[in-house]
Amino acid sequence: MGEMKSEVSSSGAGIDLSQFYQVFFEEAGENLDRMEQQLLEIDIGSADDEELNAIFRCAHSIKGGAATFGFSDVAELTHQMETLLDKLRRHELAPTAEMVDVLLLAGDALKAQLARHQGAGGDELDTSALLVSIRALVAGKAAPVVAKPVAATHIAKPVEAAPAPSGPRELELQVGPLEDISQAESLLDLFKEITDLGVIEPLDGGQSADGMRRFKVTTNSSDNDLLDLFTFHVSREQVKLMPLGPGYGFHPDAPGAPEQTADEVGYGFFDNAPGAPSPDEHVSVLAAPVPSETTAVATTARAAKAEKGPAALESSTLRVSVEKVDQLINLVGELVITQAMLAQNSRAVDPALYQQLVAGLADLERNTRDLQESVMSIRMIPMSIVFNRFPRMLRDLATKLGKKVELVTQGEATELDKGLVEKITDPLTHLIRNSCDHGIELPADRVAKGKPEHGTITLVASHQGGSIMIEVRDDGRGLSRPKLLQKARERGLSAPDSMTDSEVWGLIFEPGFSTADQVTDVSGRGVGMDVVKRNITEMGGTVEIDSAEGYGMRVSVRLPLTLAIMDGMSIGVGEEVYILPLSSVVESFQVGDNMIKTIGGQHRVVEVRDEYMPVVELERVFDVPRFDWEHSCAIMVVVEAENGRVALMVDELLGQQQVVVKNLEANYRKVDDVSGATIMGDGRVALILDVNSLVRRSRH
Amino acid sequence: MDMIQEATHVARAEAARALARAGSAGGEFLTFRLGAEEYGIDILKVQEIRSYEQPTRIANAPSFIKGVVNLRGVIVPIVDLRLKLGCTTVEYNSFTVVIVLNVRGRVVGAVVDSVSDVLALPHDSIKPAPEMNASVDTSFITGIGSESDRKLILKDIEALMSSADMGLIEPEFAH
Repeated sequence: MGEMKSEVSSSGAGIDLSQFYQVFFEEAGENLDRMEQQLLEIDIGSADDEELNAIFRCAHSIKGGAATFGFSDVAELTHQMETLLDKLRRHELAPTAEMVDVLLLAGDALKAQLARHQGAGGDELDTSALLVSIRALVAGKAAPVVAKPVAATHIAKPVEAAPAPSGPRELELQVGPLEDISQAESLLDLFKEITDLGVIEPLDGGQSADGMRRFKVTTNSSDNDLLDLFTFHVSREQVKLMPLGPGYGFHPDAPGAPEQTADEVGYGFFDNAPGAPSPDEHVSVLAAPVPSETTAVATTARAAKAEKGPAALESSTLRVSVEKVDQLINLVGELVITQAMLAQNSRAVDPALYQQLVAGLADLERNTRDLQESVMSIRMIPMSIVFNRFPRMLRDLATKLGKKVELVTQGEATELDKGLVEKITDPLTHLIRNSCDHGIELPADRVAKGKPEHGTITLVASHQGGSIMIEVRDDGRGLSRPKLLQKARERGLSAPDSMTDSEVWGLIFEPGFSTADQVTDVSGRGVGMDVVKRNITEMGGTVEIDSAEGYGMRVSVRLPLTLAIMDGMSIGVGEEVYILPLSSVVESFQVGDNMIKTIGGQHRVVEVRDEYMPVVELERVFDVPRFDWEHSCAIMVVVEAENGRVALMVDELLGQQQVVVKNLEANYRKVDDVSGATIMGDGRVALILDVNSLVRRSRH
Repeated sequence: MDMIQEATHVARAEAARALARAGSAGGEFLTFRLGAEEYGIDILKVQEIRSYEQPTRIANAPSFIKGVVNLRGVIVPIVDLRLKLGCTTVEYNSFTVVIVLNVRGRVVGAVVDSVSDVLALPHDSIKPAPEMNASVDTSFITGIGSESDRKLILKDIEALMSSADMGLIEPEFAH
């Protein structure tokens, strides 16, 4: 960071700015993310003013901070971007796909520069080519560097706004509304006083109409310079420079008026209007759309955004370090344990004698529960954080592979624990890349099959019971059962024809498995899916695949919602206490020996209404020592995991309480059929049973 | 003459330096009893000493892993060193003590018969470990220390606890 000192020394105030670096980096990071997201969402055919303004503001904020801290490379790049964005928002230039590409590349370069300044090291980034491109775009020419090979070129026809030519320009200056219209005259005088600025003449014959004055300006200078000049006398909002168009276009319907896309009728502006998107869908079109679809898609996207409008207001937030939040959660966890202990020890208290004590304890329980819910929700962040990175990634990938892919996301508001968010991103990324690479066919192939040219990848997040479900669906070619079976046999895996479809799809989780014909640098090497499955399993989740050849594929990931505190049912086996997650308990009943039947000599089942359910004897699973030899397991607890149900044979049901889940593997190792441990009211440890693995055990 | 004097001077300085170095390499050891033998382990690995409480049993674990206990909110596995190291008599009474160790980022408890004291053993009082027959578990012995007439078997407790056959750490994580 040697160059830092020389640049910062210019701040003669003597304040040590380095304490503010961290905040700047974080905010710049957020601005860059926001800018990228908005650039991806922008509609080239009909860009919203507010969108363009927002993107401009992002670049502007970064520039300001960078200049203050002396990061001159960042400041310079953002300044150029700002120039281009300013023209765009003032409608002096029309947005093109090329500009979006260059701006996205510039965003990437900024990220790299900022990372370097944060201490990531590396060489100084050479942004000269990028700067040249931006300047060229600003001047209205095509950028010399073609950023990406655009495979299927259907660039939407840009709205023809006159780009600024290099020679003297003819502009229309509109001034007003002014209370004292004679102020406009002073502008005229000012302009004339400055030599070489150009020529100015009134367009309205020297008379003001509706409080406005109009002049024709012929000049070589830039808009910014002119505006700087004019704002000596009048405020910025009252001056407008426009290209000299055929009509004046001041009024919405006059010829030459800028396109008022927001007023277009009948494109789903309201919820029930034809063409309205369903409320929680958010469509971002990635590869350049076919022109005929542009307007419809543009306005539906806008309608969706309009509905989201109020929600998109800046919410006030507080930046807090994760350690503090974790510490808070730990403390609340300890509080829950203490409260449980108090509750247990006070059960023997005579409520009549100690009325207030009992009432107080009841209040305590309620307050603790509320406190705990609030604190747990602090760590929950919406899935949109995870989903946000995918549009960009998919866009780049689709372009690279020459495919057209749309990304649809649902349920972004579904909340997930922060720890899980970090861990789920890599597996999801891989699944999406897989869908794009292997699933979605090339546009020509899709059309030949009668499918729409655009492949669609859908990401859905939802809550289901105590879990969060995330699905990645595509409408591509799906998995081929014969191919998978063949590949499995080639690799020496047992793959009898009697395998069910879901077992066959599950083959792709085997290490090294890939039926891709070609290995691309994106995927195909066969190291991805098994890592995905392992990552998800480590999080305590499961992953399943469903597919229909020719139609598409769906990967479903299920993750536990909260890791730390859960409702548990304590059961007794012998002298030992075990905990079952309450959410997995279906029912419990007493059994007599005659209700248990044996199948095949070994597997025991019990009849529950019309169903025969496998029996798992916990006494045997956990090798519980018995001191009295009377067989006292008299109670069955039916539990359900996503892979089925079993009946657990236990001695007694002890109670129900909230338990704080403690990690067994921090100091010990993974124990079969046990998902964690907790501390009971008496301070002793009880093991929490892993229902999924118990169910699995009953199947083998 | 001058050369010899100078050489002696240099030699003496070297010897003094070596002695000073060696003296600091002895270390401080917590001593405890397992059966009839006294052992010593690096004090820096010891977090605390607690009395024995019945742990929660973990099924299908080796016999020397008694289970887990709650140590102020942390789940800690308890290993009975007497069983692991092959002592003949194993009792759980009021003198039975658990040494809570912090090794390789993990907190583990080791059950011993009793704890004696903390000794600072200078390097020269530590002799190398003898070769013994296989009936005694001689792994991880770093030396035999002597203090007055006590003989202390010095063990590398960190390596012992992290070893694969201790079963505390999953094989792929053991290093």
